[in-house]
Amino acid sequence: MLRMILVRLALTVPILFGVSIIAFGLMRALPGDFVLAAAGTTAVSDEVLAVTRRNLGLDRPIWEQYGIWLGNALAGDLGTSFATKKSVVSELLPRLAVTAELTLMAGLLAMLMGATTGLASARLRGRTDWVVRGLNSLLLAVPNFVVATLIVLLFGLYFPTIGIFNYVPFARDPLGNIGSLLLPALSLALTVSVTVSENTRAAVLEVSSQDYVMVARAKGLLARTILGNYLVKNALTPVITVTGLQLAALLGGSILIETIFTIPGMGQYLFDSVSRRDYPVIQAIVLVSSTIVLLMNVLVDIAYARVDARVSYD
Amino acid sequence: MTGKPASLLEVRDLTATFHRDGAPSRVVNGISFDIAPGEAVGFVGESGSGKSVTARAVMRLAPEGSSIEWGGRIRFQGQELLSLTEREMRDVRGRRIAMVFQDPMASLNPVMSVGAQIDDMLVRHTGVSTRAARKRTVELLGLVGIRDPAIRADDFPHQFSGGMRQRVLIAISVSCQPDLLIADEPTTALDVTVQAQILRLLMRLRRELGMALMLITHDFGVIAGMVERVYVMHRGDIVESGEVDTLFAAPKHAYTQALLAAVPRIESTRRPA
Repeated sequence: MLRMILVRLALTVPILFGVSIIAFGLMRALPGDFVLAAAGTTAVSDEVLAVTRRNLGLDRPIWEQYGIWLGNALAGDLGTSFATKKSVVSELLPRLAVTAELTLMAGLLAMLMGATTGLASARLRGRTDWVVRGLNSLLLAVPNFVVATLIVLLFGLYFPTIGIFNYVPFARDPLGNIGSLLLPALSLALTVSVTVSENTRAAVLEVSSQDYVMVARAKGLLARTILGNYLVKNALTPVITVTGLQLAALLGGSILIETIFTIPGMGQYLFDSVSRRDYPVIQAIVLVSSTIVLLMNVLVDIAYARVDARVSYD
Repeated sequence: MTGKPASLLEVRDLTATFHRDGAPSRVVNGISFDIAPGEAVGFVGESGSGKSVTARAVMRLAPEGSSIEWGGRIRFQGQELLSLTEREMRDVRGRRIAMVFQDPMASLNPVMSVGAQIDDMLVRHTGVSTRAARKRTVELLGLVGIRDPAIRADDFPHQFSGGMRQRVLIAISVSCQPDLLIADEPTTALDVTVQAQILRLLMRLRRELGMALMLITHDFGVIAGMVERVYVMHRGDIVESGEVDTLFAAPKHAYTQALLAAVPRIESTRRPA
């Protein structure tokens, strides 16, 4: 088990290396660069542009820029933002914390809603199943930014007392902070909860028809014992897989949600940086997000082994 | 209940009707039979003859996701099972009537240790703590012939062979010393050599624990030497019944004769059915 974790962690290194090349190359493949974006519509002479590029190191060959950036990144220095002239790490960390909180809340909400509706759908069948599946189809068809916009409209028009754009920092008011993230987390969670719900439903139905559930009933066990130890425990593995994989979707979705709800997280930071072609920031965010997704995958694999004794990595 | 009932299980006019997509289909057509305390009774018939549904009727177990309607009377130790609530029935299942199923490879919960799957039943029916149950679990695993039971109790089903798993399932079924053990094709999924071991184990436990045995099989070869009386089932009806020796010597019903002729014999040449 420990060996498996170490191997999986070691495997993330080459993947991250590849990610860093793509992140670096893609940004530079975009038309325009930071200098042009900063100049905007102002007429700036080519000399001034060239001087600015030289100061930022953008005049060097791309492989050299990459080498310097990679060397610094390995030492823990993700560079300096072109726009703010501040260290990317110091700007990114507080925003990462906000996004992590939002994603975590959304993930928990999605699991809670998805598992509950999926389980109810599979166990109660009939009308419950019909309603849950109908809602799932509807939610799956509507992208979460549309849901977010609808929530903004609804609360903005009819409940203006509930400030939806008032993000409260955690340090100032922990409860208020959670409250202010609840609606954004909900709109982020809805689409993912559909995936969790549908997978939970399928897994529970599959497990329900297994012989060992019949045996459990023949043993005279209580319904709650059968549900917990026989149905849910066995249905857990596929549900863990999809939930883990959906984390990437949550991270991606948070960019839109943070922009809509004006939450000062990594998503909004990324959005602004892409518009400004602020390469160091974009590269840092791509690298950090990839690391998080890769680590989550390792965690999912560990969770498998914890839940199902048949899974052995030796 | 006063005194020892003449009959442990008394089934009268049992019917079973499946309801699928609105169309009812009757699979057991009003059969009657008795099992005395401690008696071993065989139910023989081909697949689809209704013998498994009959066995499950006694446990009132419908297959998951299907709707089945039982009719008639099932009196067990003087108590009418068909009129019990589901909650009352749960106290009968496992405690007074237990069941061993056909496929040991699929009958154990893959994510629980085998010991825990006996513990939970003991805790449920005898009210002991999990710790106290484990002591009894180890005894039971030893009783059914699992070597090093104290260590093996913590192993998971995938670490056991098919025959060993069926032993574990038998240990589960006898753990609360039921008065009736229903074995539904308990050896069908096993190798021939293992089949004999499992049948011997069932015989020994029945004797030691004084249980009645309802043995369901499609194979007359399994019945021989195991049970005292036989009911032959065909298309939801009992077509013939009697002492096992009499039935073997002189089968009356054409279907029984056909079933007997289907058993391969080593000692005699094949004769026309």
